[in-house]
Amino acid sequence: MEIQHWRIRDRYYRLVGSKCMQCGAEFFPPVYTCKKCGSEKIKDKEMPKTGRILAYTILHEPLPGFEAQAPFYLAIVKLENGAKILTQVVDSPEGSIKTGAKVRATIRRAMVDGDSGQIIYGYKFVVET
Amino acid sequence: MSRSKVYVSSVGFTDIADHWNKSLLDLAVEASRSALNGWSKKKPDQIIVGNMFSAVGARQEHLGAIVTAGLGLMGTPAFKVEAACSSGGSAFNVGYNLVRSGAIESALIVGVEKMRDLEPEEVSQALAMAESAEYTQFVGATFAALNGLLARYYMEQLGVTRDELSSIPVIDHANAVNAKHAQFRKAISPEVVGRSQMIADPLRLFDCAPVGDGAAAVLLANDSAVSGSKRRMAEVLGGKISTNDFSIYERDDMLDFKSTRMAFKGAMQEAGLAPGKLSLVEIHDAFSVVGALSLEAMGFSKRGHGSKDAKAGKYSPESELPINTFGGLKARGHPVGATGVYQIAEAYLQLTDQAGKNQVEGAKYAATQNIGGVDTTSAVHVFGRAA
Amino acid sequence: MYLMQSKNHAAILGYGAYIPYYRLPTSEIARVWKGGGSGPNVEKAVAAADEDTVTMAIEAARGAMKMSGTERLGAVFVGTESKPYAVKPTSTIVAQALGQHHTLAADIEFACKAGTEAMQIVTGLVGSGMIDAGLAIGMDTAQGRPGDDLEYTAASGGAAFVIGKQSKNAVAVIDCSTSYVSDTGDFWRRAHERYPRHLSRFTGEPAYFFHIESAVNTLFEETGHKPSDFKYAVFHQPNPRFPVEVATRLGFTMDQIKTGLLNPLIGNTYAGSSPIGLAAVLDEAQPGDRILLASFGSGAGSDAFCLEVEDGITRTRGVNPTVKSMMERSTRIDYATYSKFRDKLEK
Repeated sequence: MEIQHWRIRDRYYRLVGSKCMQCGAEFFPPVYTCKKCGSEKIKDKEMPKTGRILAYTILHEPLPGFEAQAPFYLAIVKLENGAKILTQVVDSPEGSIKTGAKVRATIRRAMVDGDSGQIIYGYKFVVET
Repeated sequence: MSRSKVYVSSVGFTDIADHWNKSLLDLAVEASRSALNGWSKKKPDQIIVGNMFSAVGARQEHLGAIVTAGLGLMGTPAFKVEAACSSGGSAFNVGYNLVRSGAIESALIVGVEKMRDLEPEEVSQALAMAESAEYTQFVGATFAALNGLLARYYMEQLGVTRDELSSIPVIDHANAVNAKHAQFRKAISPEVVGRSQMIADPLRLFDCAPVGDGAAAVLLANDSAVSGSKRRMAEVLGGKISTNDFSIYERDDMLDFKSTRMAFKGAMQEAGLAPGKLSLVEIHDAFSVVGALSLEAMGFSKRGHGSKDAKAGKYSPESELPINTFGGLKARGHPVGATGVYQIAEAYLQLTDQAGKNQVEGAKYAATQNIGGVDTTSAVHVFGRAA
Repeated sequence: MYLMQSKNHAAILGYGAYIPYYRLPTSEIARVWKGGGSGPNVEKAVAAADEDTVTMAIEAARGAMKMSGTERLGAVFVGTESKPYAVKPTSTIVAQALGQHHTLAADIEFACKAGTEAMQIVTGLVGSGMIDAGLAIGMDTAQGRPGDDLEYTAASGGAAFVIGKQSKNAVAVIDCSTSYVSDTGDFWRRAHERYPRHLSRFTGEPAYFFHIESAVNTLFEETGHKPSDFKYAVFHQPNPRFPVEVATRLGFTMDQIKTGLLNPLIGNTYAGSSPIGLAAVLDEAQPGDRILLASFGSGAGSDAFCLEVEDGITRTRGVNPTVKSMMERSTRIDYATYSKFRDKLEK
């Protein structure tokens, strides 16, 4: 697990996604092939860190390893460049997490392997207030 | 290129339940024998197992070989097909195409899943493998959470109410009352659905298919393999698998089940059938919202009207197009890798007049829709009565 | 003689603070342990379950980098006593998150003065010409033993400073600094212990007051400065009372220390304490203002700095959220939630 996440740590820490050098479309998570034009000319590109919530839900029973964070809000966020990202939304005032809310990226503990294993860090979002 | 006619000549399946005393292999052998017993030849040319997470649930892979050996059919080519919750439908599609092409004359398709040996959070983790490990599992999202997001989006964007969303689970439960193999055989009201425990807002417990164990097997055969047989059979008229952008949030239109739309269109085209000719359809309602969007993708309901039409009675047993005639995923059950084969076995029962109290009178054509992920893979098959 | 002044002056080019969203009123702690009353401070900042020194350091560092516009760092030092790993530096994760690889990186420990220690080190590296710019961070998710007095004040937060070559465009020049240390065990934590231990009255005169006064008086003697030369003074703030007392003894007024005095509302952020006080001052300071910064770390020692605000400070307004706004962006939690967040419940 450590290595699988280590390999893509820049994507987790800095939201490095993809840009199609053919048509300019940007994606996160990264792609091998452009979803708009089918080109394979893909380069890494850091995504903008703000966007709006398209849909959200509250998760009480998350995947194993995430119990300490539960309950938490999950949302599909549309970033300023059009890329849609699945992410948690944390630490926001009561009632502020809703469709249309403006959010910005922050960095948090994403997964923790018990008391002796490694901590995987990654993006989460916060409502802009 | 001439293609063989392909028949579903026999089926067998276990009840869907918490089978504490039966292992994965126990279930697979039981269902397989039940299907093989109805067939004089007893030795299929090929065995294909549909299953999603035996590696995690039973620390067992190599399922094709282990089921084959269990049946004493060593020498038979065998392998596992995995496509998340569409493993069953996908395994069937492979067998169908092999027989249709003339490469083989018969195939045993076994869908099996053993879920209850895992603790609930382990089941969540196993099911989550249908979604991206690095970007979906990474944020702690369960498969239910993704569908919860979809449900909220569906309700907010298209004006669907909580009460309307409850309609498909209600139909399922009513149909399962007389289905002997179904996991839950009690009718429920929309209020019960709407008040059940919150799983991933707005999806509640009764919006979600249950966890259970089961195996279903069907025998595919061509004319030559069934010659001389007096058995009632169903004919496979068409079958297509399609795929979509992997994660729901990668799609331009999250409410367009494009996989199902394309697979259904392709399967019906192959069958040479207009959608209005179908007598029933077994849809993949792993979650109520998925059932609604599946109906919309197949063109039976307009966009946003899947649940609304269900509430208005458009899909009930007495209607023009009954759905989930034995309870669907919600009430018959959803041992994930096996579900696709259960749907096909049920279509077979309908088309051979063996559906008992659940019989759709004069059923002529049936379709089954089996998806993996959130319509990431969709396997649709069309059946008719054998001449 | 004891004053440190780099050959080429170093300056703060950008700064960023971080205070988590949650607050625990000390009345809650007192309710559980004493049946009523409160602590010396009103409330304290609490990091959420998914936060730690790494995540907060990165957030603060991003703010500092944004303000300074620096592209290359030659050093990343994180001063903290709540590193998530005893072995595996916080600073390399911060460096990775900032895209920096050709850099020095290490974690510093000196209790509550680890952050200013980091500032001293980066100042030296910049001043010697070895690097053009470096990052010094003081950040902690400090914990007190449940029921102990220190639980009222032990809090989460801190600040980051990009320190580089002095220019008119800088935020504040680091004119000079000095340090005073001794082997004084007022507060400590053995290697495998979960919570620290401390002496009581001993943490005052022989520890906090002696070391801060030694460092600041050395600075006064060798620079010729007196308290009235400074617009602001920021002291390490373990509780609301000590910094006021030491300020008075050294000849400073409430007016001079009030901007940087945050303990009453956020508690003691340990290695982040005087750094975040400095950040609060910089949010308001004007070009030409002189600032005294004096930290204290148990074990023990004090770093005293003389900073002078540059013209460049005017371009920093509005770039990052102010410390004040971070203090306001908050929600109150109870003792049970706090215990869960900070993993103080045995499972």
